[in-house]
Amino acid sequence: MASVVSPSQTSTIKEPSHNPEAKTKTFHIYRWNPDEPSSKPRMQTYTLDLNKTGPMMLDALIRIKNEVDPTLTFRRSCREGICGSCAMNIDGVNTLACLCRIPTDTKQDTKIYPLPHTYVVKDIVPDLTQFYKQYKSIKPYLQHSAPAPDGKEYLQSKEERKKLDGLYECILCACCSTSCPSYWWNSEEYLGPAVLLQSYRWLADSRDEKKEERKAALDNSMSLYRCHTILNCSRTCPKGLNPGLAIAEIKKEMAF
Amino acid sequence: MLRQTCFAATSKRTFSTKLSSSFPTNTKPAASVLLRPVVRNALVKDALPGAVRVAAFHACGRRAILPPLPQVIDGTANDPAPVPPANPSHGSYHWTFERLVSAGLIPLTIAPFAAGSLNPTMDAILCATILIHSHIGFESIVIDYIPTKRLPKTRMLFWWGLRLATVTVGVGLYEFETNDVGVTEAIKRIWHA
Amino acid sequence: MLAQRATQQSLRQLAASNPSMASQMVFKSFAVGSSLQTRPVATQKMTPADSYQILVAQRKNRPTSPHLTIYKPQMTWIPSALNRVTGSVLSGGFYVFGAAYLVSPLFGWHLDSASMAAAFGSLPVAAKVATKFAVAMPFTFHSFNGLRHLSWDLGKTFQNKTVITTGYVMLGVSTASALWLALFA
Repeated sequence: MASVVSPSQTSTIKEPSHNPEAKTKTFHIYRWNPDEPSSKPRMQTYTLDLNKTGPMMLDALIRIKNEVDPTLTFRRSCREGICGSCAMNIDGVNTLACLCRIPTDTKQDTKIYPLPHTYVVKDIVPDLTQFYKQYKSIKPYLQHSAPAPDGKEYLQSKEERKKLDGLYECILCACCSTSCPSYWWNSEEYLGPAVLLQSYRWLADSRDEKKEERKAALDNSMSLYRCHTILNCSRTCPKGLNPGLAIAEIKKEMAF
Repeated sequence: MLRQTCFAATSKRTFSTKLSSSFPTNTKPAASVLLRPVVRNALVKDALPGAVRVAAFHACGRRAILPPLPQVIDGTANDPAPVPPANPSHGSYHWTFERLVSAGLIPLTIAPFAAGSLNPTMDAILCATILIHSHIGFESIVIDYIPTKRLPKTRMLFWWGLRLATVTVGVGLYEFETNDVGVTEAIKRIWHA
Repeated sequence: MLAQRATQQSLRQLAASNPSMASQMVFKSFAVGSSLQTRPVATQKMTPADSYQILVAQRKNRPTSPHLTIYKPQMTWIPSALNRVTGSVLSGGFYVFGAAYLVSPLFGWHLDSASMAAAFGSLPVAAKVATKFAVAMPFTFHSFNGLRHLSWDLGKTFQNKTVITTGYVMLGVSTASALWLALFA
């Protein structure tokens, strides 16, 4: 029996009703051009209609670059919070532009700066060379002398693996490190929350054999102990991790 | 309104694009490198529609006392940052000691509130603990704000100045404890005066 | 605008399929007034050492991005900064008194408890309460915030929500106890 669907049973999908009222939002964005090294950094103002813009800050930035000002420079890649390229300071807080919704309140202007207290390459692109060099200094890889017993891989129990949850997810976007006042003043020697969280990721790994060497590398007044538990790091992490807790765990392990 | 500005932007951009692309593409590299900033300037100026204004509020990090130095990177980007030698007495031992002192201050601070004031021995212990706690606190301020690499002399001056101050204050408190009524009792008397 | 886009798109496809036409295309695109962009920037061959020198020179021009002045005031770094300030004020006072007491015989200052109590007692009541509050507030703030810090050092109360809650509780308790110390103690 052929079934006939009457029009009353079907639902009509209509085009979203067009809102003629423009929701104009103002963005103030930090600008600095290395081709004019003598000029000072300045703030530039852009306005966008939120009705024609995607929901995220990165959508707004891309739209500005595409349609308003092609000279605006920023890093972006995955647009889904896994690459960490678009880390910047939005409305006073470090976050990933791709994970940050544009506040729909159009009366409030949005301010976008590069990650705080970083050297600016151009506009909102910071230089993270020192950050990566520090990451390299903690030897972010498994250190094991003997080959695996089964010749394939080092095994660990489920409980041991569970200790790495909340650590391995870090994408090294540098939001936490550049939110830390201690790191602002002493980034030469203090490792900062992101690198210390990574350090703890290897200290907490049951398969790693160089724990004492790892701890000794942190056992001085600068590398680890410039952390004063300010906790801007945990507050700002766009991935919801807790670098402050990781640092506290390192301190505890080294204390007793 | 926004559409208009977008249009304006596009048309102006087209203009500047024409301008810049009117240079023959086979010019000598050096010449076009020289021309580059000029073209960029033209682009920046022309590409900004009315909606884009340059705001004149401060946009650079200002630290009047110790402005950041120009960026210098030691070694290449692929070299790891240097790892300082292990020094537990300024690292883990120091941290543990400081926490024990801080935790010890809890009962020592509650005691005078519970008892009114302290007997001379307890009072002396409280004073000494506060002195150590203060010294470590000041030390931490010196380490945080006076970097050794950048201001080695100032750092030394403050480092030893702080030690001298702590010893002086220690002697002064010893005098006060032995000649007067003790710190907690003195505070109590002044508070109730 | 849409027409422009379409033309541009088709031109691009054409160019991809037939590169020899590309030179003509540039003029075509102007004819239709599209926003096809060409960059008048040429590249230069350079040794790695030379390009590194350019990078080193460029680094020296780089400004530092703003930090303290633009970071949002939060229940994390504001109390932490105040913790240092209150600690410095209290310890500073402690140090000044200790040192002054040691040298007081040389200058004939009366810093013994009896004369200090007498001097303080002669102040008007409002001044007394204000002074007491000015001393008590840093003391209670630093003490109760110190408890939060000790709890963190044990690896506890690290969740963002907990940090905010304990922050407000600490502010309330320290203000209330400072007021009590100034008015009633």
